[in-house]
Amino acid sequence: MSVIGPDMADTSSVIAFDGISKTYPNGTVALSTVSFEIPKGTIHAICGENGAGKSTLMKILFGLEAPSAGRILLDGAPVEAGAPAFAATHGIGMVHQHFSLIPALTVTENIILGHEPRKGVLIDRAEARRQVTELSARYDLQVEPDAPVSTLSVAAQQKVEILKALARDTRILILDEPTAVLSPPEIEELFNRLRGLRDAGMTILFISHKLNEVRALAQSVTVLRGGRLTGTVALRDVPDDKIMEMVMGHAVEVARREHGAANGETVLSLKSVSTRTREPADLLHEVSVDIRAGEIVGIAGVDGSGQRGLVSVMSGFLRPGSGSIAFNGQDMTRADSHAWRHAGLAYLPADRFAQGGAPALSLADNAIAGTDGNKDLQTGPFLRRGRIAARVRGMIKEFNVRSFGIYERLDSLSGGNAQKLIAARELATKPKLLIADQPTRGIDVAAAAFLHRRLDEAARNGAAVLLVSADLDELLRLSDRVLVFFAGRIVADLPNGPSLTPAALGPYMLGLENAR
Amino acid sequence: MDAFFATIADPALFATVLRVMTPLLLAGLGVLISDRAGVLNIGMEGMMLVGALTGVLVSAYTGNAWLGFLAALIVCGFVGWVMALVVNGLGAHLIITGIALNMAAAAGTTLVLFFATGDKGMSGALKSEVLPNVGIPFIADIPVLGPLVSGHHILTYLALLSVPLVSILMLRTPFGLRLRAVGMDPKSAATAGISVKRVQAAALVLSGVFGGAAGAYLSMGYVSWFASNMTAGRGFIAIAVEVMGMGSAWGALAASLILAVAETAAITMQSLGLPHELMQMIPYVVPIVVLTVYVSRRRARQLV
Amino acid sequence: MMRSILASLVQLATTVLVIAAVILVILVPLSLSQPDPGAVLFAFLLGPFDSVRHIGNIAEAATPIALTGLASTVIFRAGMFNLGTEGGFFLGGLGAAAFAVMVGIQGPLAAPLAILAGACIGSVACIVPGYLRVRHGAPEMVTSLVFNFALLFAGLLFLSYVLRDPTAGALTSPKIPADARLDRLLQGTRLNSGAIIAVVACILGGIWLFATRSGLNTRIVGSSPGFAAHLGLPITRITMATQVVGGLIAGMAGAVEVLGLYTRFTWVSLPGLGWTGIIVAILARENPFLIIPAALFLGYLQVGGDILGRSMDVPSEIVGILTAAIMVAVTAKIIFENPRLLRAIRSIKQQEAK
Repeated sequence: MSVIGPDMADTSSVIAFDGISKTYPNGTVALSTVSFEIPKGTIHAICGENGAGKSTLMKILFGLEAPSAGRILLDGAPVEAGAPAFAATHGIGMVHQHFSLIPALTVTENIILGHEPRKGVLIDRAEARRQVTELSARYDLQVEPDAPVSTLSVAAQQKVEILKALARDTRILILDEPTAVLSPPEIEELFNRLRGLRDAGMTILFISHKLNEVRALAQSVTVLRGGRLTGTVALRDVPDDKIMEMVMGHAVEVARREHGAANGETVLSLKSVSTRTREPADLLHEVSVDIRAGEIVGIAGVDGSGQRGLVSVMSGFLRPGSGSIAFNGQDMTRADSHAWRHAGLAYLPADRFAQGGAPALSLADNAIAGTDGNKDLQTGPFLRRGRIAARVRGMIKEFNVRSFGIYERLDSLSGGNAQKLIAARELATKPKLLIADQPTRGIDVAAAAFLHRRLDEAARNGAAVLLVSADLDELLRLSDRVLVFFAGRIVADLPNGPSLTPAALGPYMLGLENAR
Repeated sequence: MDAFFATIADPALFATVLRVMTPLLLAGLGVLISDRAGVLNIGMEGMMLVGALTGVLVSAYTGNAWLGFLAALIVCGFVGWVMALVVNGLGAHLIITGIALNMAAAAGTTLVLFFATGDKGMSGALKSEVLPNVGIPFIADIPVLGPLVSGHHILTYLALLSVPLVSILMLRTPFGLRLRAVGMDPKSAATAGISVKRVQAAALVLSGVFGGAAGAYLSMGYVSWFASNMTAGRGFIAIAVEVMGMGSAWGALAASLILAVAETAAITMQSLGLPHELMQMIPYVVPIVVLTVYVSRRRARQLV
Repeated sequence: MMRSILASLVQLATTVLVIAAVILVILVPLSLSQPDPGAVLFAFLLGPFDSVRHIGNIAEAATPIALTGLASTVIFRAGMFNLGTEGGFFLGGLGAAAFAVMVGIQGPLAAPLAILAGACIGSVACIVPGYLRVRHGAPEMVTSLVFNFALLFAGLLFLSYVLRDPTAGALTSPKIPADARLDRLLQGTRLNSGAIIAVVACILGGIWLFATRSGLNTRIVGSSPGFAAHLGLPITRITMATQVVGGLIAGMAGAVEVLGLYTRFTWVSLPGLGWTGIIVAILARENPFLIIPAALFLGYLQVGGDILGRSMDVPSEIVGILTAAIMVAVTAKIIFENPRLLRAIRSIKQQEAK
């Protein structure tokens, strides 16, 4: 159980999980009798790969979900878990991975929501503003009280999210993968803030699957794997590979890739492409890039720097305001998504269940979607069930998709397996250009490794691959070269090599340097 | 165009405009509150029917119009609460539940009417009461302005008064902020400790109250009877009113006024000898045209 | 194979149980308020089977709602909440009657052409809201709801001024020529070839939806528009096509009803069969193959209600309340997505993690 060393700051545990289990209605077992304690006034990490149950556990602690079994003790006393107001009553605040802010409301409104200061029947706006300004000063997080959240940058939004979490006499702060949207220097700034909060007496729970961050920040760590607890240790007592073992359970073959300058033909060519749109994430300014057959080009950048615009313009979802796009010599500047597909584009979208597949339809339906006119699979307008079944089963076998039957719904698959099926479908078209947008986000390590191998294979088979990812490790592992986006422009085009590290990319991502 | 301004300036026509506007505005406000909370009340048509019948029945049995009105508000508020229970508690589909409510209300009111009067068509047998018109003491005496502003139905004044009240409720009170938050993003609202189910139930109750008022106006405003399906689609027009009003109370006022003017103009045209079926079409065609033009313009503005 | 059939049976049984529960909850108190509760229940539940005429009535009642149910299914599957089938049904009946009376074709083509005319005219009720949505973004639910009434009055205008039989007492059309009326299928009932049309249409609909490429594309557009956009599917074309087809079927439903059961066109208000069709579509889980059983079931309820209305002092409107309650109950997630139920089904299919 608890393996906390004797000279931790304050050994009384503030939170204890006792036999927590959670099974979702669709049968997924998210947590299985998890029991451990968290010492007061420290930064404690919850570590594990995607799908291990970290977020679920924190949602239960915060009161967003109720456990199927087990109980939670705060300061030694058992508490009623699972009610929305639970967190506020017990001084627990949470910084969610996908922010819990309401874009149309202002910063102040978001922060005071649920505990609005009143003047009679109305909201006391002056008092609300004062409270927000005071909070902002106390924790040194600068925000504009009257700005609508939708107008803020991602980093600014996170500040609001943090203030919101701290607004109600918070003594326990939970952060769920807070660094996914930050550049390396911003991560360091966040960590300094968190250390300051800890020194002032707050207990901090830090969820992450990145071991280097856990090492840098936390004193102790709890590791979850497949919904079970594999250990709770003090970090300084345990070396990295022991922790890795607790996280993974076994060594997973990590794709090794030879990086090289590609010498294939130019498949995709953007010349001075700019877009005119209201959405900052879609804005591009004079972007020019050539992608060759057989190369993997990685796109790095803080969220909202223009990567989405690039991808949209390269798939027919957004018309450039100026500039031109050529795909295999063909002018595609005004082409729609149908034309792009027809010309040889395959696309793994970031939002796999909203754009990459149809969750309510069967695996078979999903696997043959978009293959209109395929003589193998249809006779005239009629679909050939037998042939389709054979094809789908082949895909499932080749891509190692764990499923219950090809006529089950797509959303009966886990994220990793669904993504593998989607990738199978896309790669079956033998694309000339493949866009992979956050392909392994939220996916278990084994499936991620599998997908990486497939991306590599696609490139070796002559496809041009564009890899957009917030996971810098993934980018650096796979890309032949890395383009960094900032404010709609490409500020760096760097060949991959040993000197290219996340720290090296940081300044470009923040717009502090411009290599172009 | 001249007819339009003539409509506004002539006190008699102006009174007609307000008369036509009142149920649309009341029901529109009810739809607004529900939509802003994320539980669009498609069943408003049914609620209005229930309100209309309840008002007639209770006022007939108690001999008091206000008791009838109050009963309509309470019963329809209760219907709203049941709707919330069904949608959030049982997990039923929101739109299907609304459609079912309309169907059940149409059948149910006919049923109850039959049991109460032995007649499935109209409540003629019952002597139900009527809510009064009111004159405003000093304003009534002002020349020109007096007849325009004073002397309208009490529910018309209540409806107009509701507009700023609903606006303040939605924009300036904690309840309104939470309601809007729930409607925009229930998951995020939940993280702030708000009970989404409770807020949505309150919204549907309020929606029902407004629907009950709108229905009571139809059966107790100027006439004193209930007829089967007397709402004739006004509950649906109220949804159009809310959409046109961009989800704001003042917008709903503007939208319902526009539709009322169009309908009044149509009534006027009837005296010119045009077939009355044509006139009857107008209240249903105008919302479609206005709504389409409005949505189309807004979309065009968004595509930079 | 056996297991998935068993699992489907469990799901079916759950639906049946829920429906039975709703019927009992509403019917039992009602019958207790009557002098002879047993007779009420008996008349309602078993009355529809007690004579050939009644059984014919079930099929007659099921026919129009099977077709409007199919129309709604096609429309909903494309992801549009277009509620214009009610207006389409009305207009379709009017259109067919008008064509039969005014164009006066003779011979075996009279009925099919009249049905075609009804279908085309009725389809306007769905096409207009669909087009306004696809082209301008106007919310089709609102526009179609209101448009139904506009079409009602437009139809009444036409009936009053053009089609009216001046010799008749009430507002009705002249007699519909016998050639245009549909053949009776069964002695002693009003069962007509409309029933066959309904069955064939539903089967064709099911084949289209599940076994053709365009059916698959429609299902993709309806359930995942984002995915459809990424695939480059012609979303506008697919959506519009389904509104047109749905509208045609709704118009056809009205045409078949008028030509099959009436000698004149007499509707002066919206018949309500478009709404019932929506209930059929929901009960059938938007699966065309399940529409016939669902429509027959609702037809059975309708006949039971009519029997109650005629022979006992219970107004047939009780059926309206009953079917509305059933429609809602059938979507209740607390029952159909209940964790225990889902777990039971999964264990039947042997999908539990070992």
